[in-house]
Order: sequence, then structure tokens, then C-alpha cells
Amino acid sequence: MDKTKTILVVDDSEPIRQAVSYMLRSKGINVLQGEDGNDALRHFNGTPIHLLITDLHMPNMDGIGLIKEVRKMEDYSRIPILVLTTESQVSMKMEARQAGATGWIVKPFESEKLIAIIRKVLR
Amino acid sequence: MNESDAQFALEMQELREKFAIEAIEKIADLETAILVLENNPNDKEKINSLFGAMHSLKGSGGMFGYNKISEFTHDLETIYDYVRKDRIKINTELLDISLEAIDHLKFLLRMGDTLDTQSETKHQSKTAKVKEWAGKKLADAQIEHPIAEPVHKSEEPNTNQLSTSTYFISFKPHENIFDNGTKALYLIDELFALGEAFAIPHFENIPALEKINPQLCYTWWEIFLATDESQGTIADVFIFVEDESKIYIHKIADDNLLEYDAFAHYLKQLREANELADLKDLKKIIDALPVKEIPAIPEIAATVKIEHDLTEDEIIITPTTEPTVSGNIQAEAGKMKLPATAAETTIASIRVSSEKIDILMNLVSEMVTIQARLWMYAEKKNDLELIAISENVQKLSKQLRDNAFSISLIPISSILTRFQRLVRDLSATLGKKVKFVIEGQGTELDKTIIERITDPLLHIIRNSLDHGIESPELRKQIGKPEEGTILFRAYYSGSNIHIEVKDDGAGIDKNRILKKAIQNKLINEDDKLSEAQILNLIFAPGFSTAVQVSDVSGRGVGMDVVNKKISEIRGEVVIRSELGKGTSITIILPLTLSIIDGMQVMIGKTCYIIPTSAVHKIYSIKHIQIQKAFDNVIVIDGRQIPYIYLREQFNDHQAIPEKQEVLVVKYENREVGLIIDKVIGEFQTVLKPLGQHYKNQEFVSGGTILGDGSVALVLDTNKIISRFSKENKSKEENI
Repeated sequence: MDKTKTILVVDDSEPIRQAVSYMLRSKGINVLQGEDGNDALRHFNGTPIHLLITDLHMPNMDGIGLIKEVRKMEDYSRIPILVLTTESQVSMKMEARQAGATGWIVKPFESEKLIAIIRKVLR
Repeated sequence: MNESDAQFALEMQELREKFAIEAIEKIADLETAILVLENNPNDKEKINSLFGAMHSLKGSGGMFGYNKISEFTHDLETIYDYVRKDRIKINTELLDISLEAIDHLKFLLRMGDTLDTQSETKHQSKTAKVKEWAGKKLADAQIEHPIAEPVHKSEEPNTNQLSTSTYFISFKPHENIFDNGTKALYLIDELFALGEAFAIPHFENIPALEKINPQLCYTWWEIFLATDESQGTIADVFIFVEDESKIYIHKIADDNLLEYDAFAHYLKQLREANELADLKDLKKIIDALPVKEIPAIPEIAATVKIEHDLTEDEIIITPTTEPTVSGNIQAEAGKMKLPATAAETTIASIRVSSEKIDILMNLVSEMVTIQARLWMYAEKKNDLELIAISENVQKLSKQLRDNAFSISLIPISSILTRFQRLVRDLSATLGKKVKFVIEGQGTELDKTIIERITDPLLHIIRNSLDHGIESPELRKQIGKPEEGTILFRAYYSGSNIHIEVKDDGAGIDKNRILKKAIQNKLINEDDKLSEAQILNLIFAPGFSTAVQVSDVSGRGVGMDVVNKKISEIRGEVVIRSELGKGTSITIILPLTLSIIDGMQVMIGKTCYIIPTSAVHKIYSIKHIQIQKAFDNVIVIDGRQIPYIYLREQFNDHQAIPEKQEVLVVKYENREVGLIIDKVIGEFQTVLKPLGQHYKNQEFVSGGTILGDGSVALVLDTNKIISRFSKENKSKEENI
């Protein structure tokens, strides 16, 4: 994968955020973090963000809200967005798709699976 | 394992520990939410937060090797997903099961994934219980509200797909596919990665240049793919786009057709002519080839809507939802700039380990001590500039101290769940109806105090439930509401925090206490005691009023232990009770434990510290007044105030100064004078424990280091008064 890519990881659970970040950093990807939708928005200030990975259930602003915000921004409206979800949430996946998510990553996942899914939307 | 793998494992271990800490909080949140729902089953917000916490536990659990937690939460999550959608109503049965499940989650978090046989059996039975309930209820709910959501496909490989097959795939992306960040070409790439492929792109939909909207996707593809992978795997490539795009996957041969020249030639022709693949032509070509039979109806994942074409047994995946949102977004794109608030968003709170706070508090304490030394030195040198600096440092250190303290304050609500849970479970066991009312849950206490009052409070509440609140039948008989009430109230009062547990139960029978105390030789039969003194007897070591020691209260911990534990943190316990009406037990605590405002006083040549908060007034008196005083009472401001002459009590026989001072302190609604030689001044004092050997002494709360480096004892006025007034009394009796 291209080493100059930047991925923003948003999850209110610190361990999850760190784990995903670590998996990505070990592949040489630049990682930004946000602890909820609201916090994540501060990164959309012109910094290149090539992919957004976000949890759905979060305080302040949830994943759906964040996706909707990002899709409204001129500079970022076309970036791929992956949501973190668990397999039982079919309805959430649909809702996320409708809000503009590109795809989803089903928890739990390992490094290889994460990278494989990211490859679907980012090269 | 190479170095980076080892690093990775290490990193994950650290995160696993973090997860465990977070999970404890999440589980506590669950418990709180359940207890709220018990009283208010329609609290949508709580239901959502409950679902969110379960969801997060399930997802994160699996990530960090707590697979059992993840599996166990799965059914609970499903149940609460239904509750969230109003398909299941909250009832006591569900709450009981949920609480039991929460206890089990705590257990699993402690044990991890490797369980011994006994634990495994427990785990199995708990899982089965939740599963059974979920199965039953969900089935009911589904009959009432048929579920629209399809079951997600399993990712099991198709077992009859061992050899290479050739598939015909048609992929017509929705024209708005770019809107949600999808790169159609990546998907084609992904297909190519699955085996040998031949793609025919179709550009006929691309309009004339001036009409092209670069934000739309006009191209579509036909792909012939020879692969060992199952049809499910091919469908997985399109998993993110299957709803909006037309995807058609059809197995055309159980062989690699691309290896046949005739077939390859046909495909090249198609591509050059930019023609659509004709399934009838294909069939003819395939029939002419020496290949195996095609299965009648190819299998495809269950999530996709299947439509049978009239002419062929093909599968078309069509959109199940119209992507209207994408259109709106497009309309708004460009109009919206980055919201101004986004860049300014600040983090409202951060999480700091308690260890770090302890270190901070220690440093502040050290600084307070050094500051006192600086002040003394400045005074001694009589250097005006140095004195000014020292005073500023003092101001700052005081502010710093107050700020550092406020950091370590946490609301008492953080421990309330345990009490609510106790009331709930225990009242059910005892067959009593009890309402637990909480007031002042935002009251903040030092975290070290909170840690140390939890057990005493649990004991007090347990007592109230067991001995205080009567059975519903009895309550009805005596004209009380069937449901008893336990009020838990926390509030500030001066420099203290009061925590009161009050019930409307039977109250304490003072005669029974007297009888018991006489029996246990705690008092003599002819002792005359005030009501408060009688009630205080229950704090005496070894005193237990329960006629029969029950499972509930009789755990070998009596009120004496409660009293001792509260005394250890310089608090006191006040008990009030009225027979037939109820009992109230109040724990009165200092705001903080480690740094206090103290008054430095001299008794003889020894320096002591008395907490300023305890001192009500200071009077100057002549020693002669004490010599003339009768029965340890002096008259100040026209009032008679009993006093304790500390010089005498401490056996200090230094030369007695002519003038002495009386500190008037409050003690149990009364004023008591403490006579000392001289007040030196007020200081911030860092309270240090005296250490193991002096743990049992009675009237010193700790030691402190003075500005000049010497050590002074910090006196506990309450204990001094209670001890010496008794001593004086017994002395009088002996005369």
C-alpha cells in the first residue's frame, strides 16, 4: 500500500482506536485519531485524509452524523469511508450506506483482514 | 516470531489491559442503566446507551481476545436491539436476566477466555439461560413483527468448489457510485486477483463530452473469471456496492474456459466490437467445448435478492433501496464548507490514571511544606522582599492545592450502582418492598474517601433492609405504605460532607439495646444514659442487636467496624432513631484527607496542629480563671462552657504562662473549650500518617512537618473530647 496515505480512525473506545491505528502504522500508513464524531471533525482542516474509518455508536456525534458531515465537505466529499460494525447490525450497515459510507469492517478483525478490506477502497 | 511481531504482540497486550479497564466501566454503565430502566422502563436514552455499551463490549471483546465476552454479549445485544425497536417490552424477568448476565460479564472479564471446568460449566449454563430466553422472546417478537432484515450470509466456503470454474460477471455500478467513495476499478482489480480474468468495459453510456458529469459513473463491465474461489467469495468483492449496483454472477462452466482458444477468440471479438455477451451464443460455444456440465442453478449468498430471468437461470442482484441520499449530498456538495466549529472543537475531559493524581497530590503536599519553610525563613530574616515573595508563593500554592484537590474529586454517583443493586437484590431475597431514593448524587468526594466509605455504606444499607424495613404485611398492619423507603442523601455542610442513609422502618428499640449492653457487660445496670448515648452503644465492639444472626447482616462485621473505618478517615457516624418511625445514620466526613488548614498551637514547649475547620472561636483567658473554675466549666461571654485542659491531659508540667487561650470547638451540637497555651498561626498542613506502630493511638489524626523541619502532631478534637470527657467522668465517680 502507498506509504503516503493518511487514514483517520474514529472510535470512542481507546483500545480499539489504538489497535486499529497500530495495525495501520505497522504498514507504514499515517494515522490520525478522533474519539468521537465531533472530535474527528477537527482533522478535516485541509490535511489530506485518504480514508476515514469510524465506529457507529459514539457520544457527541455518532458515525452516521460524522459521515453525513464529511460528505458535505467539498474537499472530502469523495473520500472512502469504512464503518466499524458487528455482524448483527445489518440495519446499521444499510443506514451507514445511505449516509454515504463506502463499506464496513466487521468486528472483530485481525490485521490481515483490515488491510484486505482497506484495499477494496484505497490503493 | 520476528521483532515486529513481538512488538505487535506487546502492543496488543497493553491495549488488552486498557480494554479491560474500559470494560469494567462499560459493565458498570450497563448496571446503572438497568437499574434506571427498572424504575423507568421507557427511558429511550438509557436503552440506547445500554445497547451501545453491549455493542461495544461485543465488538471490542473479540478484538482483544475476550471471545467469551463477545459471544456472551451477542444474545444480549440482540435482545436489547429488539427492546430498542419496541419489539420486546422491558419487564422484571428481562431485568433479572440482564443483571445476572452483567455479573457474569464481570466474572468473564476477570477470568478471561481460559476457564477451568467449573467456570466453564457456569459459563455454559449462563449462556444457555440467556440464549433460551432470547430464543423464546425473539420468536414471539418475530411472529408479531416479521423481521425484514435478512440473515447475513455465512462466509463458509462452498465445498463443491474445489476445482476451477468460469464465471460470467456483469457489473453495472449505479451512476452515483462515486458519491460514497467507491472506486469501481478497484473492484475489477479485486476480481482479477481472484484468478484469470478477461474484462470487457462498456462505454456506450458515456454521453457527449459537453454533457459529461464527471461525478457520475457511466462505465460498466462484463467480466469472465476463471477461479478456484467460491461464488460467495466473488459476491464478497461487491459486498459494499451490491445494494445500489446491478450485479450478475453466473457460473458458466466447471472448467477454465479462458484456456480454450475458441473461447478466448470469442471474447476478443466481443471486446473489439464492444458488443454485449450473448448468453445463447456463449452456450453454443461452451457446448462445442469438451467441458463439464454447468450446474442448473448457481448458488449465491442469502443476503442478495434473487430474481430469475425468464429465459435463463441467471441471477440478477438489484438494488433493494434507492440511493436517494447520494443525490442530496451531491446537490449540497460545494455549498458546505468545513464547519467553523470543527477546527475549534476541544476535548471536554481527559482520562488520567489515579496513580498520576496521587503523584500530583504528593507533589503539592511537598510544595506546601517547603512553602511553610520559606515563609519562616523570610520572617526570621525579616527581609521584606523575601516576605512578599513568600506570601505570593503561599497564595499560589493554596490555589494549586485547591485545584489539585478538585481533580481528585469524583461524584458519589460513581458508587451508587452497587447500593441500588444491593437494595434490589436483597429486598427480593427478604421478600420486602423497598424504594431506594437518591438525593445529591452529584456531591463530589475525594476518590480515596469514596473508596473507603463504600463498604461501611453497604453495611449500613444492608442493616436498614434487614432490620429496619418491615415486611409488607406488617407495614400494612401498622398503617404504613407497603413499600418501604430508604433515602440516600449526600450533601455539603461547612467543610464536611454528610452522607445520610435514612429508612422509614421499625427504628431502634432502645430498651433492647440497653438490655443487650448490660448482658454484654458494656454498661452497668444503674448507668444513666442519654438517648444518643444509648444509640451509640451499637458502635461498641462486639455489639450485635439482631436476635438471630441472619445471612444478610450477620457477616461478623458489626456497626463497630463501620465506626472504626469511618474514624480512620477522620469521619464520624451519627445515628438517630425513633421507634416505629425509622432510623437515620449519617456519616460526616472531611472534604479531603491529605492537606488541611491547621492551626498551630503551643502546649508547653510542644507544638500541635488543630484543624481550623473544627475551631469555632478563640478566646484569651487568664490562667487564674482555670484555677478558680469548678467542675471543668468556665464562663465565657456569659455562657458556661465545659472545657478540657490539654496541658493536664498531656501531662505537660512546663512553667504555666499567665495568659492562656481557649479554642471553642463544636462537639455533637455542644460547645467544648480546649485550653492551650498559645495560638501561633494558621498553616496549610500536610497530614502524614504516623505509621504502623502508632496506628492505635486515639486522639492524633497524623503528623505533619513544620516550616522549620520539626514534626508536630495533628490533634483530632472529636476524639480528644470523647476520650477525655469520659476519663474525667470516671475520675469524678471514683472520688
